[in-house]
Amino acid sequence: MKRVQIFFLFVISFVFTINGAIAQDASTLLHNMDNLMSAPKDKQATVKITLTNSSGKVKVREAMMKQKGKDKKLYRYTKPESQAGIATLSLPDNVMWLYLPAIGRPTKISLLSKSQAFTGTDFSYEDMESKPYSERYTPTLLESDKPDMYVLELVPISKKSKYAKIVLTLDKTNFYPLKMDFYNSRGDKFKEATYKYAKQGDYWYAKELLMTDLKKEHSTAIEMTDVKFDQGLPDDEFTVEYLKQ
Amino acid sequence: MVVIATVYLGLQLKNLSIDADILRSLPEDDPHAALLKQISEKFGGNSMGIIILETDNVYQTEVLEHIRSITDTLGYIEGILSVQSLTNIINIKGSELGIEVGQLVDEYELPTTSEQFEGLRNNVEANEMYKGTIVSEDATSTLIIFTLKDGANVSAVANAVIAKTEAMHLPEKLYYIGSPMLVTYISELMKNDLINLLPIAFLVIAIILLLAFRSASGVLLPLLTAVIAIIWSLGTMSLLGYKMSMISNNIPIILLAVGSAYTIHVLNRINQLKTTDRDEAISKALSYVMVPVILAAITTVIGFVSFIFGAYLDMIVDFGIFTALGTFFACLLSIFFAPALLDIFTSKKRNKELIPNKVRRSFLSEKLLSPLNILLFKHPKYVLLTWSALIALSIVGIFFIQRSVDIQEYFKKGNPTREAERIMIEKFGGVKPVFVLFKGDMQSPEVLKMMIKMGEYMKQSPDIYTTQSVADLIAEINFAITGERKVPDDQAVIEQFWFLLDGNEVMQRFVTEDLDEGIIISKFKSADNDAKKEFARYMDRFIEKNSTKDCRIEITGMPFVDITMDRSLINSQLGSISIAIVFVIIIVGLILRSLYSGLYASIPIVAAIIILFGVMGLTGISLNIATVLVASVALGIGIDYSIHIISHFNDTFQKTGDVRKAIQDAIMISGNAIIINVISVSAGFLVLVFSDMVPLQYFGILIALSMLGSSLGAMTLLPVILILVHSKEK
Repeated sequence: MKRVQIFFLFVISFVFTINGAIAQDASTLLHNMDNLMSAPKDKQATVKITLTNSSGKVKVREAMMKQKGKDKKLYRYTKPESQAGIATLSLPDNVMWLYLPAIGRPTKISLLSKSQAFTGTDFSYEDMESKPYSERYTPTLLESDKPDMYVLELVPISKKSKYAKIVLTLDKTNFYPLKMDFYNSRGDKFKEATYKYAKQGDYWYAKELLMTDLKKEHSTAIEMTDVKFDQGLPDDEFTVEYLKQ
Repeated sequence: MVVIATVYLGLQLKNLSIDADILRSLPEDDPHAALLKQISEKFGGNSMGIIILETDNVYQTEVLEHIRSITDTLGYIEGILSVQSLTNIINIKGSELGIEVGQLVDEYELPTTSEQFEGLRNNVEANEMYKGTIVSEDATSTLIIFTLKDGANVSAVANAVIAKTEAMHLPEKLYYIGSPMLVTYISELMKNDLINLLPIAFLVIAIILLLAFRSASGVLLPLLTAVIAIIWSLGTMSLLGYKMSMISNNIPIILLAVGSAYTIHVLNRINQLKTTDRDEAISKALSYVMVPVILAAITTVIGFVSFIFGAYLDMIVDFGIFTALGTFFACLLSIFFAPALLDIFTSKKRNKELIPNKVRRSFLSEKLLSPLNILLFKHPKYVLLTWSALIALSIVGIFFIQRSVDIQEYFKKGNPTREAERIMIEKFGGVKPVFVLFKGDMQSPEVLKMMIKMGEYMKQSPDIYTTQSVADLIAEINFAITGERKVPDDQAVIEQFWFLLDGNEVMQRFVTEDLDEGIIISKFKSADNDAKKEFARYMDRFIEKNSTKDCRIEITGMPFVDITMDRSLINSQLGSISIAIVFVIIIVGLILRSLYSGLYASIPIVAAIIILFGVMGLTGISLNIATVLVASVALGIGIDYSIHIISHFNDTFQKTGDVRKAIQDAIMISGNAIIINVISVSAGFLVLVFSDMVPLQYFGILIALSMLGSSLGAMTLLPVILILVHSKEK
């Protein structure tokens, strides 16, 4: 009897040690992903946003996107016609400025709720946050049935998250995300994102991204073209004053 | 064959589903009803459920916590599309630097201090979109509003909502209202009624039959024919894809009461023939009774069929068709099936059954029918006078009849739904939705300004508390950005504001995807019909003046449907009664081969119906979608009594030429069957008193009353008239 107990103790402690080792590993993996995402000094692209609702109706928007570092991001919309010229500027600490040409002056938008959808898309402000994943989530490595992928479970550190957990599938060689499944506190998956990464020069970038809200049966596809890296975009371009131009 | 048909149609019953949605029963040819249906399809207004949370003060951390957990719980229920409550409602407001986009309450950091609550309260009260729509002005109640997905299983969602929120055992009081909840609630009541009432009706009629016939076959055969008729007609209903409505829910009980009657007459005649040879008795009885039974069935069918003409709600038409069909089945069965069964099963013990019949007959005859006979001949004028007085009094009563089309009156007093309605009326401006549809460019300043103008105009009506539209949202955003609470003059500005609203769940309640139609959503407070009519006129004036090609305005909503329904109650009542009376007189006249007989036969039932309306007027029982059926049903069933008396009278009178003997015979023999019939039919209908739905309770009472009235009329008023008519002839 005793032997069996000792054996179990051994097994249990072994499992714990392994778990510890894996946890270490999981956060390294997530860091790797963050690093891959924030590798370019700056980035510029044409972004096509396609919204599809449950009855199959499609709306398309287009914007010019510029990003410097990890937390300065500018979108200037070019389509549809009625929204052309609208620009949003995201700055560190969740500050966002909106420029509506018809009003003629920028307006600061304070985001009081991160779970709010970002203007008609299936992304919440939480999804769009510039803070690295490793600072926002506690990762655990899960078993993967595919040899070329890691599966991580991300649990939000902030209590203000709509997600109870995110299950992240990572490419084993390059550490870019392939898929994210978003779960609510009931343990039901209610959103999913699939990524298609491509390499240009030294950098990997999400060429295509599809976010689907399973409950609303609504999806947002984002496609990036004309991507340019490290052009040395000046800081001036990411100021409120510049928004007007 | 009967067995096969019954089994086959019985199996169809499984597929018979309940549909308590009154909206679906509104006719397509009523423009208001059609528009209402259209709007609820396009904007999802019909599938909106509401939970009212009532407490002493909503602005407390604990209460907000509960609202939040209800909101979360509802969000997880399959079939619910969106949930809107104090803890998750979107808020766009101006601040020193720009605008704040977020939620009214930070659901992850609920307010705790009194200053925070003060701020929240000010926020709510300052905003037209929240005031009186999310929190009541006295801060004791708040609403959690949810919408259903297209094609969601309404009752599954509603039951899950109730089960999951009740399982939370919150200290606050929860009430459930809104169409999905009401529809489900009514379906529950309907199911309860079917499960509880049908066995009672069965038992009551069985006891009466046992007392009357004192034999197993006397109990079993009428019930069996009724049950088969029920299965056949409901099975056909299911087979043809019809659904049970709150009205057709009564078909089983009505058919039980009506359908058993025909077999009663057949058995009664068989028993009264004192032949020892059963076969001969059956064929002889059938030859006597076939005509009156068929006649009785035809008149009853006419009563039901009369609903097909002039009825406003489709469910009343359906009810008419399938009760008529069931009646027809019952009649067929009583003539062909019941005697056949009797022949098979009773040949061995025929002698036993005859003895108790004799006992019963002499009892009824001596104590009731003989004295009645004497009274009729001694004081015919008094009898006539009494009836005249009753009728005169009733005619006065008719002028006091109230009409009611309010669905809430379906529920008993003290029912939580009624309480919920009271709170909605007192604190949230009512329950009856009103929609103003605008057809035009939803981003045009002219259209949006017209929406605001219309909203202001509506709020001047005493019955409109708040209005909501996309124009209010635009004005609110404009206020947040520029400090002016109005629709911008420049279309480009509006189009860019749309950027902030795009994709917000609330938008699909206000505008169509193509932005070519939008609605003002409002609620109407009063249940009073005149107030509704006044409001309709008030609104029409505005629409007539302001509706243009580029901004077409139409209005609809339950108050408007109510007005039409109310008008149709009278039309449908007058229509169905006059159709029924004319047809009954013609058919009775044709079969008895004398138009006078038809006319005489109709006198007692007309008197009974006048008394019925008089009683409704004097006791305040209102004419509603259930009680509107009483008169024609009563006419169809009640005429039978007169037919029996008059045909018996004619028969004997032609043979003997003796009025006195003819009357005596008619009352002594037919009166007997009439009494059994009245008691069993009335008892069957009176079971409806135990119904969970108020109009059905009255329906039961009123039918029983009419049965009593028409049978008394047939056995007192009719003979007296016959006596007086024939004495004049002499």
